[in-house]
This record gives sequence, C-alpha cells and structure tokens, in this order.
Amino acid sequence: MSSETKQILTTDGIPLEVSLKKAERKNKIKAFLLVAPLLLFLIITYVFPIGDMLMRSVDDKMVTEMLPKTFKSMEKWDGKELPPEEVFEAFYLDFRKLVSEKREGKLSTQLNYTKNGFKSIIKKLRRKSKSFEEGNYKEQIMSVHKRWADVEYWKAIKRRAPAYTGQKYLKGMDMYKNENGEIVSVSEDRRVHRILWLRTLEIAFFVTVFCFFMAYPIAHLLATLPMKYSNLLMICVLLPFWTSLLVRTASWMILLQQQGVVNDFFVWIGLVADDNRPEMMFNKTGSYVAMTQILLPFMVLPLYSVMKTISPSLMRAGKSLGGTPIVAFWKVYFPLTIPGIGAGCLLVFILAIGYYITPALVGGASGTLISNQIAFHMKSTLDWSFASAMGLMLLSGVLVIYWLYNKIVGIDNIKLG
Amino acid sequence: MKIIGKLLLAITFAISVTTSAFAVTAVSWGGAYTESQKLGYGDPTAKALGIEINWVDYSGGLSEIKAQKEAGAITWDIIDVFAMDTINGCDEGLFVEFDFDKDFPPAPDGTPASEDFFTAMPSKCAVGNILYSWNYAYNTKNVKGTPKTIKDFFNTKKFPGKRAIYKSALTNLEMALAASGTKPGKGGANIYKKLNTEKGVQKAMDKIKSLCTDPKGGCVFWSAGAQPPELLVSGEVVMATGWNGRFFNAIVGEGAPLKQVWDGQGLDYEYFVQVKGGPNDANGKALKALSMMTNTEMLAGSAKYIAYAPWRKSSIAIMEAGEPWYKDGKTNMVPNMPTAPENTKNYFLVDPIFWADNGTELGEKWEAMKAGL
Repeated sequence: MSSETKQILTTDGIPLEVSLKKAERKNKIKAFLLVAPLLLFLIITYVFPIGDMLMRSVDDKMVTEMLPKTFKSMEKWDGKELPPEEVFEAFYLDFRKLVSEKREGKLSTQLNYTKNGFKSIIKKLRRKSKSFEEGNYKEQIMSVHKRWADVEYWKAIKRRAPAYTGQKYLKGMDMYKNENGEIVSVSEDRRVHRILWLRTLEIAFFVTVFCFFMAYPIAHLLATLPMKYSNLLMICVLLPFWTSLLVRTASWMILLQQQGVVNDFFVWIGLVADDNRPEMMFNKTGSYVAMTQILLPFMVLPLYSVMKTISPSLMRAGKSLGGTPIVAFWKVYFPLTIPGIGAGCLLVFILAIGYYITPALVGGASGTLISNQIAFHMKSTLDWSFASAMGLMLLSGVLVIYWLYNKIVGIDNIKLG
Repeated sequence: MKIIGKLLLAITFAISVTTSAFAVTAVSWGGAYTESQKLGYGDPTAKALGIEINWVDYSGGLSEIKAQKEAGAITWDIIDVFAMDTINGCDEGLFVEFDFDKDFPPAPDGTPASEDFFTAMPSKCAVGNILYSWNYAYNTKNVKGTPKTIKDFFNTKKFPGKRAIYKSALTNLEMALAASGTKPGKGGANIYKKLNTEKGVQKAMDKIKSLCTDPKGGCVFWSAGAQPPELLVSGEVVMATGWNGRFFNAIVGEGAPLKQVWDGQGLDYEYFVQVKGGPNDANGKALKALSMMTNTEMLAGSAKYIAYAPWRKSSIAIMEAGEPWYKDGKTNMVPNMPTAPENTKNYFLVDPIFWADNGTELGEKWEAMKAGL
C-alpha cells in the first residue's frame, strides 16, 4: 500500500487536512463567540480608560490653541533674554481674546503647572489690561507685576508650545526640557519624585519578602493539617479580610505607638525602660508591619491552593530515595510550589505598589509614596495629565516586572489554585 | 376603577417628582462638622423653604466635581470647599459667579451682604461660611509648665516631647516663621511676603526640620482632623497643631485634659460654592437654599454645635446677645471662637492666593524635606 505517499482523503474526496481544518475552524469560532462578551468587557473597561489616560498624559493642545499668535511670534525668539515687543503684543492679543471668552482662568491653571506663580500674575494682568493703551505692550505688561519681566516665566510659556508633549513624563522623573532642548534635572530641593519611586519599590519589595516568609509556613500548615483544624485556621486567615482596612490600620496605630499596648507590655515585663521605648509606629517599621498583615492573605491563599495539590507521598518518596528532609524539601517540594509563590508574590507586589492610605497613616515622614502624589494631583491641583503620566509610569514599571518574572520563572508557571 | 387607578398613579408620580427627585444636594466634610451644618442651618432652611436638602460627604478637592462635569452628569448643587479650591474651581469655570449684594440677604440692620462679610471673598464664586483656626493644643497632664506662645511649640528645651504637625506644608511654614520671630503684620501679610522669597521658605523649612530631628522633640504627621486630639489624649505627643473645633469638641464634649493655645493661630475660611449646571441651578432652588443658609441667623445657629466662627459679623452680635450659646446651654461660645479678640492678638490669615500660586512647588520641597528626615 502506498498510503504514505498518497494524501489521505475523506469520503467526499476532500483531503483530510483541509476537512479537519474546516471542522476545527468552526469550533474555534464557537469558542471565540463564547469568550467575546468578556473580551468586549475587558476592552471597554481596561483598554479604553488606559488609552484615554495615555492620550491625556501627552495632550497639551489646550495651551497651544489658546496662545496661537504668541507661539508663532516666539519661534524666532532664542529664549536667552526677555522676548521682543512683538511677542508681548501677540500675547496681549491672545490674552484679550481669552478674557472675552472667560477662559483666562484655565490658562492660568495650566501655566501654573509649568511654573508656580502664574495664577496671581494672570489675574493681575486681566484686571490691569482693561485699561491698557494701544502699543508699547512690553512696558505695560511688565509694569503689572515683576514676574512678567522675569525671563524664566516667558521660557515657561514657550515650553508649552507643542501640541503633544512628553513633559509630564519628564516631570515625573524630576526633569524638564530647557530652552536649548536639553533634558536637565529640576533643582535639587525639589527632586521628590525620584525619592518616592525608589521608596515605593523598596517598601513593596520588602513587604513581599516578609509576606512570603510568613505565609509559606502558614500555608504549609493549612495544607497538611486534617480538614477540621485547617478549616478553623483558614477562618483566622480570612477574618481580617472582612474587617475594614481603616479599622485594621487604626488598630495597629493603637498597638504599636510609643504609648501603645505593645510598648506598655514591654515596659511591664521589664524588657525596655519606660523612657526608652522603641518607636514602632509613624516610621517605616509601622508601614511594614501594617502592610504585611493586610497583604498576608493574598500570599497565603495561592500558596495554600497549590500546596493542597501536592501529594504527601512525593516528600516520602524523596526521603526514601536517600535525601535528608531538607534536601527533599528543597529538591521536591519547593519546586512544585513555585507556581503558587509566583502568583502570590506578583499579587502582593502589585497591590503594595499602589498602597497609599495605610503608609500615610502609619508611616509618618516616610509614609508618602508615589500613589500619594498621584492622588494629590488628581484631587487638589487637578493636573490630571500629570497624574495620568505618573499612573502610566507606574503601570509600565509593573509590566517590566511582569516581563522579568516571565523571563526568569515563566508565566505559564502561575497558578492561583 | 381603572380611571381612578390611573389618576392615583399620576398623582403619586407628580408628588414623588416634586419632592425627592429635586432635592438640593449639599456636599460637605462629614462627621461633627456636617452635623453642625445640618442642625444649624440645613434643616431650618429646608423647613422654611419647603426644599429638601440632601447632605453628602466628600474628602475635599475638586476631582469629583470636575469628573462629573466632564461626564456631563452633574449631581451636586452646593459644595463646602477650601479657599484654594474656590479659586481653582472658579478659574476652571466649574462654579457660578455671584453678585453678592443681589444674591445674598443683608444683615438685620440693613448692611449689605458684601460689607457684612468678615473679609472680602477670594473669588467671585465663593460665599463665606465659617472661619476656623489652625492652632495648637497640649495635654495638661503631660506638660510641665504652661505653653503660651507659638515659640513654645518649637521649644523642646522647656517642653520636651514629640509634636504632631499637619502632613503638608500648609500653615506649617507660616507657624514656623511666626515662631522664629517674624511679626505677622496685618493679617499675616508680612509672613507671606517673607514666604515669597527663597530665604523665607528655607528658614521655615529649617525650623521644622530642626524640630523633627531634635532628639528631645520629634514629629508625627497627622492627616485626619480627628488625629490631633487623639494623639494628645493617648500621650503619643505632648503638643499638636490642629483645627480648633476638634479640640473644642474633645475638651467640652469628651472632657479631655487639653488646653488650646491661640498665639500664632492661622485663621482659615470655609466657603460654599454653587455648581454651574447643577441639577437645581436652572430652577434657582440651589441659590435660594444657599442664600438662606448663609444669612445672619442661620450662620449663628451653626455655632451652637461647633466652635467655628460664623462668617458674618452680624451673626457674632446675635451670639453675644444669646450667651451661653452652645447646645449644652452651659458653655459660652464667643471666647472659644477663633475670632474672639483675646485669641486674635498674634495671628495670620491663611492666604489662599499664595497657596493656589505656589502650592505645588512648595509641596515638592516639603516632601523632599520629609524624605530627608
């Protein structure tokens, strides 16, 4: 029989592969249609908002279209000394149009983001410009407030010329583009964002490590105890989940403060002197303790569900083949739990990076994290483009970590249970 | 029967639409403060005008109202905001601009509204509500001696122990300057003149840094209004800055052994704004409710429940005539007001325009200073 060289045909004479592909395609389409609603939901709730944030973080069209004449006349200005009279005149014309449309307030808010101090001088200019005479605008504008004669403020206006800009991302890294187009760092006493990024990463990393070392034994215990004990202990793990976050945080404040319950106990048993109580609250220690306790269930549960699937006979097999308990644990048990460790660590790390209320309450001076700044710019300054830029930087940082994890451990190695 | 059924349905629909669906939504900070607003002028106004007023809590900032505007679904009518937010929100076109003498009733003796206000409004969109104070208090059980001035707050030799200060730079810089010898001048103008210079800001930051790094001192940063009295009572700190109304509630309402110090206090204002395009903007109900809530008698009423000074000068006269004014019928309110003469010997008015201008930059410097502690 020469069936190896001839194509296999179905009963209607079509080659088997083609027929198979056709049948499988129908199944694939059915499967896709089943998943389609969820995919649509994800696109609407994830992709659109993130896309909108991205657009918002680079969009600077508002100032560009508010000051068209000004930016055109600034093209020839080199930015070293005060701009010439035609720039002042163009700015005055643009400004007068904005005042008639009652939009100068928005301009003052936007320019104030670039350089503080614009709000009041624009208000003053609006009042005084009603009685301006024709011509000689440079002198008249500079006489309104001494900042209008400061070249730094005009440079700040020029920086807003492009319609789309990456300025907010530079600002998130404490840098800005000066008039020569170079990227320079902000003055040293204002470099707060770099500190916050590092501090956020550091706290998230250590909280993940502490959670891991505490959760592993707990999960192992839960997985190996008989059902009735492990159920009881599981309730202990889950009960904090049902308590409000702020209640837990406030409880830690009461327990750990210098005059708190734990310190009073230490003084009572004589471990520390009364005037030398350790400071466990309103510093990094407080942040670590509170955040670890709050995020512990997120590490325990994935580990528990993975450990539950590991048969105890595997450890016994390892030991019977000549390994000490430690060797058996390290070579047999631990590698099998890596999917759970991966899931738990990623979950805890990503959650810890976004925390800001708990560190703000218990962390004292070190309790400001990058999310505090994002919330501050969302709520108080209303600089949503800057908040979006920082949010996207945070998101891309997390994606980088995810990619690193994939390279090192492999993403197929994640199991939540 | 069918016709009667339809008629009843139509009547109930009409009733429901006219009463609850168009309640005026007033947004404020919650807790004891909103209670005082509701009892002091919210409910009396609702009863007098027959308009239902619905109180909602928020935590400050303009992000929610800005989001509502962008989504085209505004549900708030009146908001109780910080001074800085009235300027920012007015600039963004979020709020209605008032004509004060036309929109708000005059004082009982005929003084037009704009002259009855304690000071001029920071923006055209704001109407004054109450004056409160950032002052400091200490625990009489933990402190030997009597702190009397703002300099004593920073004096760790005479009064050792930790202090609690606000988590942001607002009012901390002004108090630091006042304590390092800068005379406030009229309403604090001198302090803000100094803060407009690099040297002034640096001097204030250095004073705070030396307090926080002092081994006999130390700082705890508070973010919620309820924290300062609690930190004092638990003994965690010996002195704390805070809002005077909270200290008053702790002392009078809960019997805490605290004493307030008014020297170097920062007078701050709380304003009402009306949202442009809110659900009750077009039909005028929001403005009607707002103008009644901020008239002389109503504002004086809120001082029965909390130690914040009503905005109108004529309200203080009503309180003085009716002492003891506090709801327990025993405590005199006027001496506990931030605006009482004996409390305003050395004070500064928190300048919203300065903070609207420089808030972001100073905030960054402040965080950088905190990071170095």
